[in-house]
Amino acid sequence: MREKKSKILDYCDKAAGMLAFKNAGQFEVYGISSTHNEAGIFNENIENLSFSDTKGLGIRIFKNGRIGYSYTSNLEDSEIKECIERAADNSEVSTEDIYNYLPEESEFFYPKEIVDRKCLFSEKFNDFSIEQKIEIAKSLEKKAKKIDKRVSAVADLIYDDSISETAIVNSAGFRDSYKSTSAFLYISVISRDDSDTSTGDYFDCARDMSSFDIDDIAYNAVTRSTSLLGAKKIKSQKMDLLLDSFVSAQFLQVLAGILTADAVQKGRSLFRGRIESRIFNKNINIIDDGTLSYGLSSRPFDSEGVPKGKTVVFEDGVLKTYLYNSYTARKDKRPSTGNAARASYKSPPHTGISNFYLLNGITSFSDMIKKTNRGLYVTDIIGVHSGINPISGQISVGAKGLLIEKGGISCPVKEITIATDILSFCSSITDIGNDLKFMPAGGYTGSPSVLVKNITVSGS
Amino acid sequence: MIDTRLVKKILNILLKSGGDFSEIFIQKKTSNSLNIEDGKIENVSSGFELGCGLRLISEDSTFYAYVDSLQSDKLINAAKILSAAVNCSTMLKALDLTKKIYPQQLIIKKYPSIYPQTIKSEYLVEVDRNARDFDNKIIQVSAGISDIESEEFIANSEGLLTENSNVKVFFSVNVIAEKKGEIRTGYKSIGKTCGYEIFDNKKPYDAALEAAGIAVKMLDAINAPAGSLPVVIGPGFGGVIFHEACGHGLEADAIVKDASVYKDKIGKKIANIKINAIDDPTIAGHWGSYVVDGEGFPSSKTLLIENGVLKSYITDLKSSKKLGLSQTGNGRRQSYRDIPLPRMSNTYIEKGSESPDDIIRSVKKGIFAKEFAGGQVDPATGDFVFGISEGYIIENGKISEPVKGATLIGNGPEILEKIVSVADNLDFAPGFCGKAGQSIANEVGQPTILVERMTVGGTAV
Repeated sequence: MREKKSKILDYCDKAAGMLAFKNAGQFEVYGISSTHNEAGIFNENIENLSFSDTKGLGIRIFKNGRIGYSYTSNLEDSEIKECIERAADNSEVSTEDIYNYLPEESEFFYPKEIVDRKCLFSEKFNDFSIEQKIEIAKSLEKKAKKIDKRVSAVADLIYDDSISETAIVNSAGFRDSYKSTSAFLYISVISRDDSDTSTGDYFDCARDMSSFDIDDIAYNAVTRSTSLLGAKKIKSQKMDLLLDSFVSAQFLQVLAGILTADAVQKGRSLFRGRIESRIFNKNINIIDDGTLSYGLSSRPFDSEGVPKGKTVVFEDGVLKTYLYNSYTARKDKRPSTGNAARASYKSPPHTGISNFYLLNGITSFSDMIKKTNRGLYVTDIIGVHSGINPISGQISVGAKGLLIEKGGISCPVKEITIATDILSFCSSITDIGNDLKFMPAGGYTGSPSVLVKNITVSGS
Repeated sequence: MIDTRLVKKILNILLKSGGDFSEIFIQKKTSNSLNIEDGKIENVSSGFELGCGLRLISEDSTFYAYVDSLQSDKLINAAKILSAAVNCSTMLKALDLTKKIYPQQLIIKKYPSIYPQTIKSEYLVEVDRNARDFDNKIIQVSAGISDIESEEFIANSEGLLTENSNVKVFFSVNVIAEKKGEIRTGYKSIGKTCGYEIFDNKKPYDAALEAAGIAVKMLDAINAPAGSLPVVIGPGFGGVIFHEACGHGLEADAIVKDASVYKDKIGKKIANIKINAIDDPTIAGHWGSYVVDGEGFPSSKTLLIENGVLKSYITDLKSSKKLGLSQTGNGRRQSYRDIPLPRMSNTYIEKGSESPDDIIRSVKKGIFAKEFAGGQVDPATGDFVFGISEGYIIENGKISEPVKGATLIGNGPEILEKIVSVADNLDFAPGFCGKAGQSIANEVGQPTILVERMTVGGTAV
C-alpha cells in the first residue's frame, strides 16, 4: 500500500522519458485517468452499483512520415516499454505521408487558453456522497411512478458520473493536462393502458448533479411516454415535421460527421466543394464551440494539443468551413481548428466535433405548432445508424410523435418512417425554435426544435 | 494467471458484509487493428489490457468494481469497497474452488499476436486495388482488419473455477461509387472466432468485389416506395429482422423488468408455425461463438422458438435465478470493465423447406431486401426498425430495379406472425450488437423469408 499516488501527467512524462531515450523520432503520449461511478435503480432498489478507478496511455510515434499507435491499460514500466515497442513496430506498417508530424504552434488557429478551466471541473462534484446520489436517483423513480397512474415500470434509471484528468506530452514541447467532471441522470419510463404500451425517456447532464431538476426530468419522461399511448399508424403522405430538439440534435450529429475535413478530403462528404454555398435557409447558424462555458465537450486543447476555439460552420445558412485537425489542415494549407478528437486512449486521434449546435431562432415551440396546418410533431426517432447513410445522403428512419392538425396537437402516431435526403432535409428547414437543448453523444450536440417542410412519411 | 489462494480470499472479502454471490473475472487482452483509405495504410494500432472485474450480488442488487491491474493490494482494496456497500443479513462463505471447468480450447492455426501486421496491410492493399479495378465509377475504398486475443479466468463463491480463451478476427470494407453526382455505397464484412486462417477460404478481396458490386449496382437505384408491401428478406444479414423483432425481447433482463412484449409467453404461440429459432454459441468458428460465457457457464444451443411456440428466454445467472429458469449460458460482457448481461450469440431462424426462387416468384409486387445496415428495437413495445442497404423491386415474381436505401419498420409480435414463407438456404452474417453501453460480437442468420406485409420507409408515395 506504499504506492505513490501518481498523476497521469507523471505517467506521460515517464513514457516520454523512455521514448526520448529510445530516440524513436517524434512522439506523443496521451493519458487519461478517471474515477467513475454508476448506479442503476429498479423498484426502489439498487439494481447495480459500480466503481472504477482507471488509467491508460496511448502512444503515437512519427517516424519518417509514418505513424504507429499503441495503448496500454497497465502502467507498470515493463508494459509502457512494450507499448512503445509496439507503436514503433506499427509505424513501419503505415503509409508514409509528408503531412504526418506533430502539430506546431504556428499551425494553431485559436489562441491558447480561451476556455476557463474552472468551467470544466466542478468543485461541488465531491459534495455528493454515493448515498446521496443513490437517494436522488431513487427519488426520481418514485416521482415518475407517482405522476401518472399509467406508468407501469421504470425500465432504466441510471446515474453515472466521473472525474477525470487528461494529459498530453509530446516531443515538440507540449506538456499539459486538465481535469474535468461530469454527471448524468437518465430515466426511461414504460406506460400502459388497456390496449397499448408506450415508452419515453429523458435525462439531464452537467458538471455535477447540483443543478438537476428531478421534477422536470420525471415530468418529461412520463409525458413523452403517456402522450403516445394509443398511437396508430397513419397513411403514407407528405407532411410538415416539427422535430423535437433531441430529434433535431440527432440529425445534427449526422451532419457533424460529414463536416469534418477528414470526411471531405476522403470523398465521404456531400459538403465537398461547397464552401460558401447556401445549404440551409438564412435563419440557420451552426457552431462548433470547444470553449462554451457550460459545454460538456469544452477543453483547453484538443486530442493532439491544439487550442480549442469557436468555429462558425454555417453562417446565415452558408457553409463557411470544415472542422480540422492538424493533418487535414496541412492538406488544405490552413491552420487547425482544434478538432482532433478521440473516444479514449485506445484510439489515435481522428477529426470530430466538440460542442456542436444550432443557434436558437425566434419562433416559440407553440407558435410553430400554431402555424402548422397538417404536420407531425416528431418526439423520437429510431434507427439513425441503420437508416441514414451519411455518404450517399439517404435518410429513412423510424419515428413516433403527435399529429398536428389546424394548429393544434391531435392524436398520437407510431410505426411510421420519415424519409428524404440530407441536402433536401437541410434546405427544407423553415423555422427555428428558441428552446435549445444539448445531448451528450459523439461530443455535445445541441439544437432547438425545428420545423421541416414537406417530408415523406411512410405508414399504411 | 493468479494465485488461487488470493482468489478465494477476495471472494470471501466480497461476502464479508453479506451477499449471495461473489465473482472474480480476470482478463488479459491484446488487440490489433489497421485500416486503408485513400490507398493509404493508417491507424495501425495495437493494445494491451489486463484487469479484473469483481462482482457481488446481494438479493436483487449487483455491486461491481474493476481494476486495471492484478496487484493484490489493489484487488483487495476494491473488494473491501464493494463489501462496504452491502448491508445484508445473508452470510455466506465462498466454497472451495473445486468445480474446475477446463473447457476445450479453441484450435487456432494462425494466432493474431504472432501474425505480422505487414501481411494484414498487404491484404488491405489488395482489397483497395481489387475494388478500384472493379469499375471506374468507384471513388473511394475504406477497409479495416481488427483482431483480439483474450484470456479469461473466472472464479465464483459457488466454487466455480474456469479458464477460457477467445480469438477473433474481423474484416470490413466500404466502397463508394459515383455517377453524375449520385453517390452510393456498398459494404461487406467477414468475422470469425478463429485466427488468421479466417482468410484461407474467403479472401478479403472477394468481399471487396462484392461490396464494389453493390455500390455500382445501387447507382441506378430508384426511389424506394413508401407504404405497406410484401417484403422478401434475403439470407444471412437478413437475420437482423429476428434479432430486433424478437431476440432482444427474449433477453431475460427485459423480462425481469417487465420491459418486454414477450413476458409470460413461454409455451405460447408467438410466431408463424413455420418459424423455428435458435441461439447457438457452440457453432465452431462462428463470430458470436464462445466456449464458456462471461460468467464461466458452459455455452449451449438454445431452442428459442419451435413451430411458432416460444420455448425459452436467453438468460444469465442473475435473471435465471430471479425467474426460476435454467441458465442458458448467455451471460456476456464486453470486457472485465463490464457487468455480464443476457445477450444473444449466433441467433438465427432455422431453415425451412421452400425454395428461395419460389418465394420471390410468389410475390406480385413487393421488395426484395438483400443487404442491411443494422437495426434497433424498443423491447418494451416491440417496435423495431432495420435498414436496407441493397434492395430491389419485385414485380410479377421477378426481381427488377434496385431501390435506394430505406428503413423497414414493424412491431415484433405482429411481424413474427406475418413471416409466411421460410426457404432452405440458411446463411449467417457477423456484426456488433450494442446494449447498455456494451458492444459485443454477434451473429445473425436466416434463410430467405417472406414477410406478408411490412411498412417500407421510402420516399415514393
